[in-house]
Amino acid sequence: MMATLQGTRADRLLLLAALTTIVVAWLMIRSLMASGPAVAAVFHGDTLLATYPLPLAGEQAIHFEAEGELGSSEIIIDQHGARIAASPCATQQCVLSGAHRHAGDMIACVPNRILVTIRGSAEARFDAIVE
Amino acid sequence: MVIGQRPALHELEHKARWLALLMLAIGLHLFEASLPSLGPWFKPGLANLVTLLALIWMGPKAAVLLAIGRVVIGAFFIGTLFTPTFVISMAGALSAAFVMIAVWRWLPGVSLIGISLLAALAHMLAQFVTVESLFIQQPALFYALPPLLLLSTISGWLNGALAMYIAARLP
Repeated sequence: MMATLQGTRADRLLLLAALTTIVVAWLMIRSLMASGPAVAAVFHGDTLLATYPLPLAGEQAIHFEAEGELGSSEIIIDQHGARIAASPCATQQCVLSGAHRHAGDMIACVPNRILVTIRGSAEARFDAIVE
Repeated sequence: MVIGQRPALHELEHKARWLALLMLAIGLHLFEASLPSLGPWFKPGLANLVTLLALIWMGPKAAVLLAIGRVVIGAFFIGTLFTPTFVISMAGALSAAFVMIAVWRWLPGVSLIGISLLAALAHMLAQFVTVESLFIQQPALFYALPPLLLLSTISGWLNGALAMYIAARLP
């Protein structure tokens, strides 16, 4: 089995090409998403519904009702990040995925066509406040 | 075949083998659906392994029909028939099957591992393209792709090795 795992020379070349492309794309996306202060953006389909800065410790949490295809998704944005607290979808995968606060993180509820993305970093917002 | 005439034994054997693979693929599809989510739309891809075996044992037509069959029947059992989940699943399974066929036919030197690797990447990409085109039209969705493609690379490689192991023992 271990010998089988090695693959052929062509397999290894394909693996190298795939890994190189993925890692380069990942680094580029991370640097793109990490710029600026941390904000959560809420979308429905192709429409941007709202953007909110991620609250720092001690700041008030934001409650937002996003109207989607099936009904209303309740989104809470607090110091722990953004999360979908309630959703009319059947699977509830979006609710179970919990809070996200790092640049590039996202929560997608495909049945309700709701997307929550995080971009920027908390440190950048802190710097901006100090300035 | 003339009506009333018995089908040839090899024909029946071919059909029985395809049906056995379909049952296995549906079982794995249901098993994967019951696993805790490792990320949006990420599954280990064990059902694709059966498509790959169908391709090398029975040809492209059997592989494509098997991919369609297991998504439709699997969705029927899970209760997602004709929902967005079904559409995403179908897009992924068909893309993987077509990439398997293309690589198997036109890329010499690539073993089942390489075929499985490219099919796993195609599966994940097709799912994101489908979601972005039909449900959430936000290019930002693609920012979530790299870590999931990395997982697909690993699962594709392992599934390919497993397919080689099985194919060597069940010719």
